[in-house]
Amino acid sequence: MHQISKLAYYFVIVLIILSINFFLPRVMPGDALSYLTDPGADMPVRMTEEKGEILLAYYGLDKPLSEQYINYMVGIIRGDLGLSIYYNDPVLEVILSRMKWTLLLVGTSTAIYITLGILLGATSAWARGRKKDMALLISILSISSFPSFFIGILMVIFFVVKLGIFPLSGAQTAFATYSNPLEEIFDILHHLVLPAATLIISHIGGTYFLMRNSMLGVLGEDYIMTARAKGLSERYILHKHAIKNALLPIVTMTAMTAGFMVTGTIFVEMVYAYPGIGNLLYNAVSYNDYPLLQGIFLFITITIVGANFIADMIYIRLDPRVNHE
Amino acid sequence: MIEVRKILGSIGLGILTIFVIVAIFAPHIAPYNPHQIYRPMEHPSSSHLLGTNDLGNDILSEIVYGTRVSLFIAFIVSAISMLVGTSLGLIAGYFDKVGFLIMRVVDVVLTIPRLPLIIVIASFMRPSTWNLIALFLIFGWLMTARIIRSEVLTLRRRYYIDATKMIGGSDFYILWRHILPNVVPLVVVQFIMEAIHVILAESGLCFLGLGDPVARSWGMVFHYAFECPTIYVSDVWMWWMLPPGLCIVFTVLGLTFVGYALEETFNPKLKSSFRRMEL
Repeated sequence: MHQISKLAYYFVIVLIILSINFFLPRVMPGDALSYLTDPGADMPVRMTEEKGEILLAYYGLDKPLSEQYINYMVGIIRGDLGLSIYYNDPVLEVILSRMKWTLLLVGTSTAIYITLGILLGATSAWARGRKKDMALLISILSISSFPSFFIGILMVIFFVVKLGIFPLSGAQTAFATYSNPLEEIFDILHHLVLPAATLIISHIGGTYFLMRNSMLGVLGEDYIMTARAKGLSERYILHKHAIKNALLPIVTMTAMTAGFMVTGTIFVEMVYAYPGIGNLLYNAVSYNDYPLLQGIFLFITITIVGANFIADMIYIRLDPRVNHE
Repeated sequence: MIEVRKILGSIGLGILTIFVIVAIFAPHIAPYNPHQIYRPMEHPSSSHLLGTNDLGNDILSEIVYGTRVSLFIAFIVSAISMLVGTSLGLIAGYFDKVGFLIMRVVDVVLTIPRLPLIIVIASFMRPSTWNLIALFLIFGWLMTARIIRSEVLTLRRRYYIDATKMIGGSDFYILWRHILPNVVPLVVVQFIMEAIHVILAESGLCFLGLGDPVARSWGMVFHYAFECPTIYVSDVWMWWMLPPGLCIVFTVLGLTFVGYALEETFNPKLKSSFRRMEL
């Protein structure tokens, strides 16, 4: 029952997002033609009123709003997100062609930052209040104060400009011919190191703090004291009792932060000109490519909402108590 | 433990005080008018401590005035968000029917990822400081309303509330005199978290080129430096990119330290929510 109501809830959210996407350009000042005919534009288009009406009719913008809305929804279901102005290709195609890079970047960094965050958070909580804990806490609080694009730029300056050990931009060397697949993999990994490291550094704080808090909570539980009273070794208690039980909130957080990662990649991909979806979004913003911009917005938000939905489902499975709320 | 908390809190407070003083007395501290044009791309010298940018503006003066813009946006957004969030949280926690409605709205809007939405709306609007403030306000009050509501839900079951009701205290009186004072610590911590969020999000939007080109915040100064094609070629980044970037970092750090110290003080059990909210 709970799962069904959750499903309905997420369905409503997706509907709202789709509607925002539909109404946004329509409530903003100006109309579809004023951008083209604006005398202040780079290349203003002069057209007669009839010509303008033909254009509006071609895009279906002369129809009543309700009909436009239905057409839009049908289009979305068919996977039609319109044409990108800058790339002159269907928006969905442009997005999908960039997706593998974002997936690679987000996938590797998520795996690493979650693992590192759990380890550091557990270490910190286990040493609560001692020097080790405080040193970790203060360094991670400090690191988390850096905007991700600033971390990225500092890494570029240090590792690319000063040391020259990593490439400046892109996901692969341009126009490279590889003698064997191993070489290609190495080239891709070589380009991946800095963007992934930037994402890891800027996101590790969330997992670290969550793990530390969760573990501090667990360490105060009675069964930890029981375990000590039984004479179990500290190591055993740490691994078998404390870490395992403290992991529960991390599971849901992982799916939730998958969303934050997607927005995080916008800035990181921009700094490294990494050819993923985030960089595409930046291009769409700077070229005023509104169809592409809206397509990416839909794509990103629905991915994030989907990840949240999965997180909710996993949580219900893992912690049956949630059901009784 | 207590010592660390106090040290971090004082460091944070010190950093924030410096920035607030710079913001208030910007016209007295900045050596030049930030819109005045000198020779472009000048290296640091005694007349221009951080050199000039590609337009010929004095970078130090830009950053000093940028403090005003950045802190103003963060302060206004957080203050109004707290006002709205706390009021709605109090109402939602105290009156069940209205509360249910308010919380459904909060749930829905919180599930919509805020940064992508802000980016899209910001690119449709004309970039200006007030537009950015309005955008941040749409999302700023949500988390506070949720947190305050759940606190009110437990507070209103206390005996002294029943006692006040029995001797004829009105709902408004109870909310104002007995419940509000108890949620103030939470509101203060939320205020700081919101300010951190706004500073980071605003600098991010500026970095994407969606900030106000006239009233330049730190993020905007950074953006123009990044856009400069020769930024990595010479040492220009040292005086054009590093200072505004570090200003953002130190402000967030100051807020983080103060927030951490306050959380530890108000909530020693450490079931803290601090830093859960991310960009």
